Amino acid sequence: MRFRFRLASFLVAALVTVQVLTAVLVYSVTRHELIDEGKRQLGVAATAFDRQLDDISARVAASVQVLSLDFALRSAIAQRDQATVQSALRNHGQRVGAERMQLIATNGRIEADTLVTPAAAAMFAYPDLLDRAFEKPAAVVVAWQDKAYWVVAVPVFAPDLVGVIAAMIPMDDRLLIRLQDQSVLPKTIELVGSVPDKGQAWKVLANGSDHVSLTENLTAAGGQLPTEARLVVVDGREYLAQAVWLNRSRTSPDVAAVLAYSVDEALQPYRSVGMAWAGLLSFGLVAGVLGAFLIARQVSRPVEQLAASARRIEAGDYGEPPTLASGDEIGALASAFTSMTRAIREREAHILFQAGHDQVTGLANRVAAETAIHRERAMHPQQPAALLMIGLRRVPEIVKTMGHAVSDRLMHDAGERLQRVIGEGQLARATDTEFSVFLPGQGKAEAIASAFRMIDALSVPYQEADLTLDIAPAVGIALAPEHGSEANVLLRRAGVALIASLDSEEAIVVYDPATDPHRPERLSLMSELREALDRSELELHYQPKLNLANGLIDGAEGLVRWHHARLGNVPPDSFIALAEETGNIRRLTRWAIATGIAQAQRWNGGARSIRVSINVSARDLDDADLPRRIAELLTIHRVAPQHILLEVTESAVMDKPDAAIQILRRLAEQGIDLAIDDFGVGQSSFAYLRQLPICELKIDKIFIQRIADAPADRTIVRSIVELAHHLGYRVTAEGVDNRETLDYLISIGCDHAQGYLIAKALQHDAFERMLAGGDWAGMHRRVGT
Amino acid sequence: MRGRWLGTLALLIGTAAGAADLTLNITDQRGKPVGDAVVTVLPHDEVGKAAAPPRPAAGSKTINQVSLTFVPYIEIFRPGDRVVFQNSDETRHHVYSFSPVKAFEFMLGPGESSQPLELEKQGVVAVGCNIHDSMVTYLYVSDAPWVLVSSADGKAAIRGLPAGNYTVRVWQPRLRPGKPDLAQSAVLVSGAERKSLTFALNLLPDSRRQFDREQTQY
Repeated sequence: MRFRFRLASFLVAALVTVQVLTAVLVYSVTRHELIDEGKRQLGVAATAFDRQLDDISARVAASVQVLSLDFALRSAIAQRDQATVQSALRNHGQRVGAERMQLIATNGRIEADTLVTPAAAAMFAYPDLLDRAFEKPAAVVVAWQDKAYWVVAVPVFAPDLVGVIAAMIPMDDRLLIRLQDQSVLPKTIELVGSVPDKGQAWKVLANGSDHVSLTENLTAAGGQLPTEARLVVVDGREYLAQAVWLNRSRTSPDVAAVLAYSVDEALQPYRSVGMAWAGLLSFGLVAGVLGAFLIARQVSRPVEQLAASARRIEAGDYGEPPTLASGDEIGALASAFTSMTRAIREREAHILFQAGHDQVTGLANRVAAETAIHRERAMHPQQPAALLMIGLRRVPEIVKTMGHAVSDRLMHDAGERLQRVIGEGQLARATDTEFSVFLPGQGKAEAIASAFRMIDALSVPYQEADLTLDIAPAVGIALAPEHGSEANVLLRRAGVALIASLDSEEAIVVYDPATDPHRPERLSLMSELREALDRSELELHYQPKLNLANGLIDGAEGLVRWHHARLGNVPPDSFIALAEETGNIRRLTRWAIATGIAQAQRWNGGARSIRVSINVSARDLDDADLPRRIAELLTIHRVAPQHILLEVTESAVMDKPDAAIQILRRLAEQGIDLAIDDFGVGQSSFAYLRQLPICELKIDKIFIQRIADAPADRTIVRSIVELAHHLGYRVTAEGVDNRETLDYLISIGCDHAQGYLIAKALQHDAFERMLAGGDWAGMHRRVGT
Repeated sequence: MRGRWLGTLALLIGTAAGAADLTLNITDQRGKPVGDAVVTVLPHDEVGKAAAPPRPAAGSKTINQVSLTFVPYIEIFRPGDRVVFQNSDETRHHVYSFSPVKAFEFMLGPGESSQPLELEKQGVVAVGCNIHDSMVTYLYVSDAPWVLVSSADGKAAIRGLPAGNYTVRVWQPRLRPGKPDLAQSAVLVSGAERKSLTFALNLLPDSRRQFDREQTQY
């Protein structure tokens, strides 16, 4: 709109300016020309007026001359026959239209007068006229009694000059009007006579047909009558005026005729031209504005359309822009626009595709898979669905061995194979080495069946050139809605299941929340653990160690128990491993050691002697300060070092063997006994075992629990006991659940037993009650007898 | 009598009684010589009067009308002279005069002559023809001892003028009316002097020649 408006206003402004300027120019030129013409015509009119007066004078003079030649009159004049002369003059005066006829003697005296009885020695009022009249007829214009008169003086010869006849003919309005009718005199004529003794004042003696007070205006403020045409404004109208001085007598006031043309009247015919011009201008304006609008629309409409298209494209709508058929620049712009839109659309589609797909396999990527899963779950939240994560065990190794090119091709091949057997599922490449398959509507059994199908599909090794590569798939399954409804949750849990599958040799693992070490609750658990440590929500529970030789409880393993306000009892499996991973284990251990040592102090004064065992992790073995701290604690609590025992796992030692050995040696030097926990299931290196300053081995419960069933395990346990005894170590069996196991252990000479058969981990007061109760003694006695 | 200017010139009285010559130069206002000017010389004193030439007896002069013209233009008469008008033209003439000196009016057919008209009074009689406006003649009646008419060259001469005090008067028909006669008085002439006087006359245009009154040449 603004462009249209600008164009229209420019056009209008240009049009108006040109027209107005032209009009002004034409008007001024016309007016100037008119006035010039008017001036010229006035000059002509003034001359014509003069001549007309002369003509009238001549006619009158001729007529009076005829009279002057009349013999009878001449005779009457020469003989001073006044009466005759008077009547003859009067008679003739009427004929020529004279108001007054006079006979003047050669000495200037008035001999006869038709108007006023002459006084005795009255002289003719205009002696200079008289002088001229001696030779031939003469005329002047005089002002007498506020009127203008011609005075025509004709000599009378009888036979020589005997006198002069003077005729006074009035020059009044009627005469002027008659003159105006007869000729091309201007409409406005004023006969004015000067007022004697008043300088430039003029009195109007007669008017033409137009009564306009010209002289008043001309001589206002001391102006003079214009001898050349001059512009004057009278009553708001413009006139061109010029004055003609008429032949006068010296003894008469000046008489002048003021002629004037009305400029306005002269311009009158041009008014209609002006109106026509104005009409044309308005029409032109309207047409111009319309035209400008239309033309601008032709430009601005397509531009607006294109702008709207641009905005649509900005908003992501790549629909076809409107086609503009015009063949001009706008059309070119529009077609360029269209091509651009298409190109953008294609590129965006391409980018979107790339964003949602894996380049190598052409499958959807993780993000797209998540989106698809999310969409499906939103649509059918109640329906079951299964998410399979298929991992290829070999691929990391293949990448390291052969490089990415080969692995890419392998993955591509695997993807194709899966695609063939996937049926209605959605296949995606979740990570470099994993595929995800989403099977909506499938329950656990069907998911597992599908998983087997896929494993079969991938069982054929990948061949290319001279390479044969095993794919070795593993599948982790997460089920919706049991294992979660959100896409990322399902993916994660399927991933966890897959990791479990990869770790074990099972081809297919279904997610088990119980074994999922990667639950998010765990992360918050850590900060809560710290708080629990600060607030002493943790407790050390003690599991009794039964001395199989004497049937007495002489030891207790301190186990961390956490009663969480919200979660209840948090199993140590949950937080200890996590504490180890996050480095909080040191604080935990410190607390456990301090608590245990304090407890040991209570239990080791007097008759009783209970050795408190505390578990120490690999991270604690990193802590060089540990021996010193324990020494301090022992000192503070006044506990002898032999009243505590530190248990480390095999794997903890094997982690950083040299450093661990150093710490353990220092601890041993302080008199603290050390034991290897969970013996048999870690990385057993007897080479290191010999270097460790340990006193005791604790056989992992995995062996002890199978003693009843598996003879092989019995053999192992017996061998361990013998080996340990030969190396000088004591042996404790963990996980003693039943009587037979206990009996067997006693039979093979195991030193201590720990397990649910004896007691689970007890709070310290329960522990003391148990000590007091002596429940276990019955068992022993049974074994002993 | 009409005249315009009055001038006075002292004339030295001559030693011996001799006759002087008085020559007059008459011109118009532009200096051109003026003919048809009547000069009268009037003595002031007795000597002059006594020395005046004797007056001739009353006679008769004829004014002829020839070719639509009065001939002569000016005629000098003494009181008591008679004038006869003779029509030598082939048209009639309506001769008239409104002069108070002598007023008359008569029609003269071709070849006719009028009765003699006696001119008793002194003065100028302007005679015209009513039919023909351009015809005019002047009868100058005067009993002055010396009366002359200037010739076409504007000169008039008087010989044998005795010494004495004179008034010289000049009159011309075309003098502007309303003004007194042009005169110079107290002109003293001594014995054998050759005196010259100049008169400049303010004259109207010749009415006979200047225009045709019947045409309105305005």
